[in-house]
Amino acid sequence: MLSFITGRSKSDEKESRLQETQYVVIDTELTGLNGRRDSIVSIGAVRMKGGRIDIGESFYKMMNPETSLTAESVVIHEIMPSDVVMKPNIDAVLGDFLDYCGTDVLVGFCVSVDMEFLNRETKRLFGAPLGNQVIDIYPLFEWLLKKGIFSGEKAALLSSRYQLYDIARCFDIEVNGAHNAIIDAFITAQIFQRFIPLLSKAGMKSAADLVKLTKNFKGGDHNRISSNISNF
Amino acid sequence: MVITEDLIDFLKSVPPFQFLDEQLLNDIARSVSMEFYPKGTTVLHQDGPPSDALRIIKKGAVKVFFAPEKGEEVLIDYRSEGESFGLLSLVGGDKSRATVVAVEDTICYLIGRGGVLKLVDAHPSFTEFFFKSFLNKYIDKTYQEMHNKSLLFGGGDKPLFTTPVGEIGTKGVLSASQEISIREGAEVMSQNRMSSLVLVDKEGVPTGIVTDRDLRDKVVSKGRPVTDAISSIMSVSLIKTEARDYCFEALLKMIRYNIHHLLVVDEGKLKGIVTNHDLMMMQGTSPISLVRDIESQHTVEGLAPAAKKTNEIIGLLLKEGARASNITRIITEINDRLLKKILELAEKEFGKPPVRYCWIIFGSEGRKEQTFRTDQDNAIIYEDPLTDSDDARSRTYFTVFSAFVRDSLLKLGVPRCPANYMASNPEWCQPVKQWKKYFSTWVYTPTPDAVMKSLIFFDFRPLYGDLSLAESLRDSLHALLEGQMIFLGYMANMIIKNTPPVGFFKSFIVEKSGEHKNELNMKVKGIAPIVDMARLFALEKGVRETSTIERLSTLKEKHTIVKEFADELEHAFEFMMLLRIQHQFEQMESGKEPNNFINPNSLSNLEKKMMKQSFNLITRLQDIIIERYKPLIW
Repeated sequence: MLSFITGRSKSDEKESRLQETQYVVIDTELTGLNGRRDSIVSIGAVRMKGGRIDIGESFYKMMNPETSLTAESVVIHEIMPSDVVMKPNIDAVLGDFLDYCGTDVLVGFCVSVDMEFLNRETKRLFGAPLGNQVIDIYPLFEWLLKKGIFSGEKAALLSSRYQLYDIARCFDIEVNGAHNAIIDAFITAQIFQRFIPLLSKAGMKSAADLVKLTKNFKGGDHNRISSNISNF
Repeated sequence: MVITEDLIDFLKSVPPFQFLDEQLLNDIARSVSMEFYPKGTTVLHQDGPPSDALRIIKKGAVKVFFAPEKGEEVLIDYRSEGESFGLLSLVGGDKSRATVVAVEDTICYLIGRGGVLKLVDAHPSFTEFFFKSFLNKYIDKTYQEMHNKSLLFGGGDKPLFTTPVGEIGTKGVLSASQEISIREGAEVMSQNRMSSLVLVDKEGVPTGIVTDRDLRDKVVSKGRPVTDAISSIMSVSLIKTEARDYCFEALLKMIRYNIHHLLVVDEGKLKGIVTNHDLMMMQGTSPISLVRDIESQHTVEGLAPAAKKTNEIIGLLLKEGARASNITRIITEINDRLLKKILELAEKEFGKPPVRYCWIIFGSEGRKEQTFRTDQDNAIIYEDPLTDSDDARSRTYFTVFSAFVRDSLLKLGVPRCPANYMASNPEWCQPVKQWKKYFSTWVYTPTPDAVMKSLIFFDFRPLYGDLSLAESLRDSLHALLEGQMIFLGYMANMIIKNTPPVGFFKSFIVEKSGEHKNELNMKVKGIAPIVDMARLFALEKGVRETSTIERLSTLKEKHTIVKEFADELEHAFEFMMLLRIQHQFEQMESGKEPNNFINPNSLSNLEKKMMKQSFNLITRLQDIIIERYKPLIW
């Protein structure tokens, strides 16, 4: 397990084509957004091979957070203190999650928030952050928007604020039920599934191209405020 | 897991999964994945790698078709929500049998090979469901060629699902003891002119098979002594089927192992051999045997059973997923034969006619677009008489002659033409010069009645007698029409007045009251506009073909509008015709009188969509016609 958290050389860069890459689409629910005070309540993840979502073997774990659930967060994701009091704490769950991810490319919506919390925990437990490459759906979306890939009416649906569910709706992806890490991960996966053909048509060849796009993304912080609602 | 809940709910609403228990559904759900195909994506390529999963459409629709190297693509089916594809090549594991293209943005659930094979093996109802629905549409198509040939041999109507293999798999199979030498085996084969030999042990249990190919590859080319035991060259991978198995199971095995022969064994003993050709031949009622049956009759009464069988054949063709134009072509062929036979019988009854004549048919018969119910639409053209007494003699003859034909058709269940457009009406039994006069009167003085008659009569087609009389009438019609923009303008006006029944908000406009409340007349609103346009364009360009499909295909090269829209028009026409035929067939199956009224709400989403597209196409073409005939439109 430790091997893939720590030692990953640059040559490992995924050069395989978008349709052949293994992805794990992740989402976390948090007690709040303070990177020091708050903690993870649940982790959801779905595997994808290229555009194929493996819905049979998804990952979903709730855990007992070290910090208490706030009334604010309970309203959003409907996880009650009584739901998690009997759950294991993150130390018991994280290993399984890392096994599930393997060396696959991680994908999320405004994923830097998820990564910040996950990395804090892996550093604490294993001494290093996750070594996986990361793709953020959000900059992909902005990039596609800028390229004019969406038809007028779809783009018009989206004003300046793009939240996960807004994007999902404009791709006719069903959105119902409460915020929940696995459902949100599944919605994110479906958005990514829609993006893949659009991205490859627009010239994105490999997962590495998408990783690069994610890294070069500057609007992260402004967006974090508007979109982090999906995380907690 | 949470995200499979939707999947399980979905499967519970979809046959055959809805028949499986919850536990099994949960089991299957674990191996399900999901894919998205933007509109236009080719999901499976014919002759490409086999499908790796059974795909069930969650949303969207796909088109399944064959694209032969030469010739037009053969549409097998459109599949939409809840339907699936990719099973045969998944089970067969060899190659995709057809091309599948997403016709809208489509989401599919995928069940992998392992899961499907488990279901196939464990759940007969599952297997039967799929193979029933796929076989009828699919395999028959794959082997269409073979199938058509097999129809020549007729054969009883033995359904694939109720006939044990033992009943048909009795074809001579050559067997010999596995103890004999290669030379002895080869001798047996050549004496019996068989290309394969099944070897059996002392108990008569088959142990292997030797084919010509084994003799060539393993003996001749390898220089192996022919005194060796035959068992040294036999191939032991015999795929067997039990005589009591149903035929569809045998077919399933053939697909699965990609073979064309199966040994039929009964209690371990070799009983015969069954080939996929045999299975195809089972498919019953045959148009060709029917035609032979017609040919061999000597009385009108003898024709009656054959005439009745037409409906069965239509049912069979529908089940096979035949195109509407192919169905109407076969019906036309049968009806033509019946009518020709009646005319032969009439000539026998009354002696040869005093002059050359041609029996012509028009309306839907003339266009080769008959479905279940057709009236008698026919007429006689005869050679211009030299004298009045010649003419009188001809009239006398054709009066009794045409009455005989009319009454014979009545006996076969073909009703009179309500407008009396029949050869037995003296008005429509005329010499060539009179026909020319009729036509020129209609063209030069296009009263509503004249235009009406033109629509019907200008689709005439010669059926029997001296066909050149009808051909020369067609020549003079086209010469007459050249530059007759006023007459054509009348036709154009009539076409554009029949607007498609789609409302402002894109809902269908249906009958508001009466017997057909909430229904839509397919013949008037869907089919007639395309027929009328094709006729107008054909008359504009002097095209001789009378069937709508043939007109369109000839016009492709000659007519700018048709050039652009031919494929769409053809597609729309086939679709509307098929809907109508299916509708009428269902009505007849449930003992009702067939009509042309369809309730759009009874259509699937895909059908509704295609119908709207067809209507949109008609509207677009009507606009083009208005533009073209602008000065003549009122």
